[in-house]
Formats: sequence, structure tokens, C-alpha cells
Amino acid sequence: MFATRSEYDRGVNTFSPEGRLFQVEYAIEAVKLGSTAVGIQTSEGVILAVERRLASPLVVPSSIEKIYELDYHIGCAMSGLIADARTLADHARTECANHFFTFNERMSTESCVHAISDLALDFSDVADRRDRKKLMSRPFGVSLLVAGVDDDGPSLWKTDPTGTYSKCTAAAIGSASESAQGTLQEQYNKSMTLKEAEDLAVTILKQVMEEKLTKSNAEIASVSMDTKRYHLYTPDELQTIIDRVFPQGISTEPGT
Amino acid sequence: MMGEWSSGEGLQQHMQSHGSVPRPVSNPPMEHRFMPYQNNGGTVFAVAGPTYAVAMADTRLSSGMRILSRNTTKCTQLTSKCVVLTGGMQAEMVELHKRMKILITQYEHAHRREPSVNAVAQLLSTRLYFKRFFPYYTFNVVVGLDEEGKGAVYGYDAIGSFERIPYVSQGTGAELVTSVLDNQIGKTNQTKQLEPLDKTDLIDLAKDVIAAAGERDIYTGDYAEVYVIDETGVNKSKVDLRKE
Amino acid sequence: MPVDYVETLVAQKGAGFVFDNYQRNQFLASSDPQAFKMPDLKKTGTTICGVVCDGGVVLGADTRATAGDIVADKNCEKLHKMADNICCAGAGTAADLEHTTKKFAADLELMRLTLHRTPRVGTAVTMLSQHLFRYMGYVGCALVMGGVDPTGPSLYMIYPHGSTDRLPFASMGSGSLAAMSMLETGYKDDMTIEEGKKLVSEAILAGITNDLGSGGQVDLCVVTKDAYTMHRNIMAPYPRTRIPKPVMFPTGTTTVLEEVKMLKGRLEVTDADVEMRDA
Repeated sequence: MFATRSEYDRGVNTFSPEGRLFQVEYAIEAVKLGSTAVGIQTSEGVILAVERRLASPLVVPSSIEKIYELDYHIGCAMSGLIADARTLADHARTECANHFFTFNERMSTESCVHAISDLALDFSDVADRRDRKKLMSRPFGVSLLVAGVDDDGPSLWKTDPTGTYSKCTAAAIGSASESAQGTLQEQYNKSMTLKEAEDLAVTILKQVMEEKLTKSNAEIASVSMDTKRYHLYTPDELQTIIDRVFPQGISTEPGT
Repeated sequence: MMGEWSSGEGLQQHMQSHGSVPRPVSNPPMEHRFMPYQNNGGTVFAVAGPTYAVAMADTRLSSGMRILSRNTTKCTQLTSKCVVLTGGMQAEMVELHKRMKILITQYEHAHRREPSVNAVAQLLSTRLYFKRFFPYYTFNVVVGLDEEGKGAVYGYDAIGSFERIPYVSQGTGAELVTSVLDNQIGKTNQTKQLEPLDKTDLIDLAKDVIAAAGERDIYTGDYAEVYVIDETGVNKSKVDLRKE
Repeated sequence: MPVDYVETLVAQKGAGFVFDNYQRNQFLASSDPQAFKMPDLKKTGTTICGVVCDGGVVLGADTRATAGDIVADKNCEKLHKMADNICCAGAGTAADLEHTTKKFAADLELMRLTLHRTPRVGTAVTMLSQHLFRYMGYVGCALVMGGVDPTGPSLYMIYPHGSTDRLPFASMGSGSLAAMSMLETGYKDDMTIEEGKKLVSEAILAGITNDLGSGGQVDLCVVTKDAYTMHRNIMAPYPRTRIPKPVMFPTGTTTVLEEVKMLKGRLEVTDADVEMRDA
């Protein structure tokens, strides 16, 4: 097995005899090293939350962005390689803007997710017939949680480096995704309010983060049915939620 | 009406001159111009109602003083509640309507639903402006029901400037039609106003209007296609016009 | 070819043709096409035709008058009576046709009184063609003229530049091709008047139906040795398809800005900016 792998994991265009694309699988592994991101969909809207891992106390926290606005009504949280996420977000933004320009209506969330996933396997070192400049020569090492509100209501989608996407009621990606998924499965219910979703998201972040959760080392955003708009919470808004969920304050001991 | 190419040769006269009479240019340069456009005539118009819309187009196709066809449609149904009507050049209309149908099919595949009339209207504008410097010689009307179920009418110029308006007319009989619609629907010049027309009266008025255009515009006649778009969908019928 | 005489003529000012105006026009047109635009020629759509029959001629015309794309008159008259034995169908510029036929009808009547003879069709044709030639096509008359004189029935075409043809059947105007197709199909020598009327009607009908410049009704004129008979609107092939619903406006629909009253032959003007008139 090991021998086979070492032969077939060099090129992105070659299947192994077992029918696997190792480079794509490795890209999934890259996501598993990323910071944890959580998404929760309710009937009132969708919440996205991510932890900010600060490599050093000298890094300015606000400069690390892991939640992006894709259009007025769509946002996404990422886990994996930030640069790859930015490439995908830029592509999604272009597609949304182009759709609005052509049709004078906002793009549906699913179409936006579809547009992102179209790019996922658009790599190789061979230039295609249209002479388009290749964006990538390797898979994107990133997963996205895309939240949006459209004519069909609020929805949450998960994409991965294979280009697969799925619609979720709640989802987690990144290094602590398994434990976060477990908590979501226990605590999620369909009739949650957006406020309850905020609380659950913050609870999970606190649970999975190694550092103490503060207003500056996490990001949270919502797309609500009321406003039909994406909104990135300010640190003060985040602090309000933290105070509401943990009235006694958070102990410095991680993972409790 | 002009053919695709024309030369200005006939405009220059040759003349022999003698003695002191100045000699005009004997071999003037011949002028060639590319003239790809032609107006095939016809009238189209549409009126929006509160829960329905009425659209009308004659079926005569002409060139110069000749009738090329008495039964050529100027309308294409694009979605279950949207129709586009076009005046101007027929070949350009056929191309544009085909292109719109393709784009709408692609939209339906990409987004798994039918585009709204609003989306179709914007799409047509973008397509027209895409050919800003070699335009489609077409004058369009998009008509249908919007997402709230209200009648929607959009009028265009040839290069994609458009507007949602209560009623609009295009084509060779447009001036004749507009004057009646301004008076009967716009009521822009009246201080005492009658009740707005109901659906049946509006359809009857529209038929009267296209018949009146057929009386005085030589390019309008033969038949008129009548589209009534309401909650039941797109309903099509035909009325007779003068064949002379 | 010796051209000395031209130079001699040029030397004697005022003799021969002078092309000064032509050159002036060319110069003006080439210097600034925006400022100096040569006037456009007017062309009215029409179908007219005629047929020679046994003992007479039949002429026909449609009744549409157009101004560009617009129908100006749905029932105008295009058959003009030139004399008791001559009829003329006209296509071209309406004013030219009206005035030219009227002038020559008067001239022919004066000639009849002077000579105590009924004028011959050939005479009328010559007079008209000389007139039109003089005006070099600027008098826009395309005519089909027919009648009966001591030489028998005859039919002529006269073109705007003055050329003429004598023919057994003829058509003119924008619908002439449509009409001619019927004449070529249906014409026989020595048709009866009734056959001629039928053929001419069909020819005009073809023009009305297929030519956008022609329309309305069919007018016929039959000239025989004994009679000049006008059949106005003998056919109405395409009646109105729809009678519009009448529209009623309540009194006061239009704002009264000013009221003018007649008082013992004196006008009095009352300002009534916002007042409505009650009736």
C-alpha cells in the first residue's frame, strides 16, 4: 500500500490503481489541519463562526480574516489554506456580481456554491483550449461553509477540495470538526432561533479552542431572514454573546 | 429599401466640356457602403394591467413596397409568463429571439428554476448592449407577470436602454398606437377621468388600436396576434386585419 | 466628331444649353452636404392600368393616396376625365397629376371649340408628352391614357420624362408589376367591354392586394364611341375588419383656459384659468 501510494501521489492527473486521487485526498488532510469553523442554519437565518488562531501575540487579530462576504446575501467561513480560500471567494464574488449585472437579481445560494465547486477540480498543468490562464496547478486545500438567504429561505452549504458540496442544517470543518459535529448533533434542533444558534456556535468554539475564547480570537457572522443581508459581527457584538453564554466568565483552562 | 451594397455612381454625371467651360471631374470616385440593415415593418405594443398584461403584434412582413409574408410572427414566448415582441428587421429578430431562448434554457439548467420577467428584461438589455457598436436592428417589448403577479411591460431601444412602463409600442405604427394609448390609458391630458378599463375592455381596446394602425400604416396588416398573460399563463389568439 | 459649333455657341453668351446651374449645384452639394441638400423626389404608390377592347377602352385605378408610410386618403380619385372621349389614369406626384390633367382637359376643350372636332387621343398624348419633356421629369406624372376617336379605340402610356408608348394593354405605378402579371395572363385581342372590365378589375385588385403603395377600392372608366362611363368604387375588396368602440369623454375633461363670448358682435374674453365649463 505504502509503495503504491508513493508512486501515484505525484501527479494531480493520475488515478491510483485503486481509483484514488491522492493529491485531492491530501488536500482534504490540509483542511483537517485548519482552524475550526461552524455553521448553523435556523428558520430565522444562518450563523457562521470560526476560531482565529493567532500564531503570536504580536499579530494584530483583526488582520486574520476567515469569514468573507460573497454578496449582500451570502457569506462563507473557511478552514484550510487562507490564500486558496481567498481565490475561491474572489471567484464567487465575481460570479455573484456578474449574475446581478446580467439578471438584475441576487444569485441563489446554491448557484453560488455551484460556481465555487466548479473551480475545485479546475487544475492541471495543461492549459485548456480557451487559452485561459490556469488558476491552479494543484487542488485547493480549503473547505468552505457557505451561508445565504434567497427565495427559498436561509440555507447552509459545505464544500470540500473534491468539489463535492452538500446542503446542511449544521456543519463543522477544520481540526476539531469531529468533536464540533458531535455537539451539533446533540444540541441542534430545527426550531432553534437565530439567537440560540449564536449561543450554540459560541459554546462549540469555546469547547474546541485551545486558547481562551475572547472577542478578538473568534469571528462570527450571520445572514438573517429579517434583513436578507450578510452581517459580520463586531468584536463588541461578539462579546455580548460571550457574556450571555458564559455569565460567570470563561476559565483559562482550555477545553472545559 | 436598400440592398446590402449600394454605389453612388449614378449620382455623379459625366459631362464633356470645351473651350473655356470648366471641366468637371470626369471619373469621380465610386462610393461603396455596407448597408446590412433593413426595416421589415410591423407594429408591436403591450399594456400592463393589475393582474395581467396584454400584448399585440401584427403578422405582416414587408420590404419596400412589397409584402414578403402575411403570416410571420414577431413574438416569442420565453417563459411560462413572459413573451418578447420585436419590431425592426426580421432576420435580426429571429437571431435575437433564438439567442434569448438559449440563454434562458441555460439559466434554467444553472439555477433550476425559470427566470423572472425582471431577470429576462435585464438579460435582454445586456445582450443588446453587448452589440453596442454593431447593434441588432430590433425594437423590443418584453411583457409578462412579475413575481408579485402584476402585469409587467418593458420597452427598449436598439442598444439596450430599457424601462418598465405601463404601456409601450414599437415599429412602423408606433406613433399611431402611442397617441391612442396616451389618451385611453395614460390619460395625461384629462382633468376628469373615467374608471380604468377592465380586462375585457382593455383587450378590446388593444384590438381596436392595432386595427386602427392597420388602417393608416401601410406596413401594418393581415393579422394580429393577441397575447393575454395572466395567472393561467400565456393565452394566444388571432384577429383579422386588412389584407390590402 | 466636329465640335466647333459648341465653342461658337459658347462664345455667343446665352445661346445653346447653359450648364452653369448644374455646376453650381454640384459645387454646393460637394462643398457641404449638410448645408445644401438636393430636394428628394416624391413618389406616390399607385396601381393604374388600361385595356383596349372591341369598340372601346377600359381604364382602372386604386384609390389609396400615401404620404410616405402613411395612408393619406383611403378613397381618392385617380381617373381624370380629359374630354368626352378621353380618360386618363394618373400615378406619381398628386399635385402634378391634378394640375396637369386639369390644364390639358381645358386645352383639349378649347381645341374642340376652335376646330369643331372631337380631339384625338394621339393629340392629347403629344401635348402631354411635350409638356412633360420640357420639365425634364420634374413634373411627376406617369399616365395611362385611353379613349375612342375616329381612328378607333387606343391606349397610351406616358412617362414622367415625356416618352410614350401605344399598347393594347398597359399598367403604371408602384403596383404596375402586380397589375401587369394579371394583364399578361388574361389579355386577349378584341375582348368585349365586359371582359375588359373584369380583367382591369382583377389587375387593380392584384395591385391593391400585393402592393403596399396601393389600396382601397377599384375605380373603372369605360370609354366607347357612344359613351364615357365612370364606375366609382366598383369593387371594395377589403372592408374594415373591426369597427372601434366609440369613446365618450365626460364634459369638463379638457381644462378651460379662456372663454370667448359673442356680445352684440363684440368679442369678450374672460380669463378662467382653473374653471371648468359646465354644459
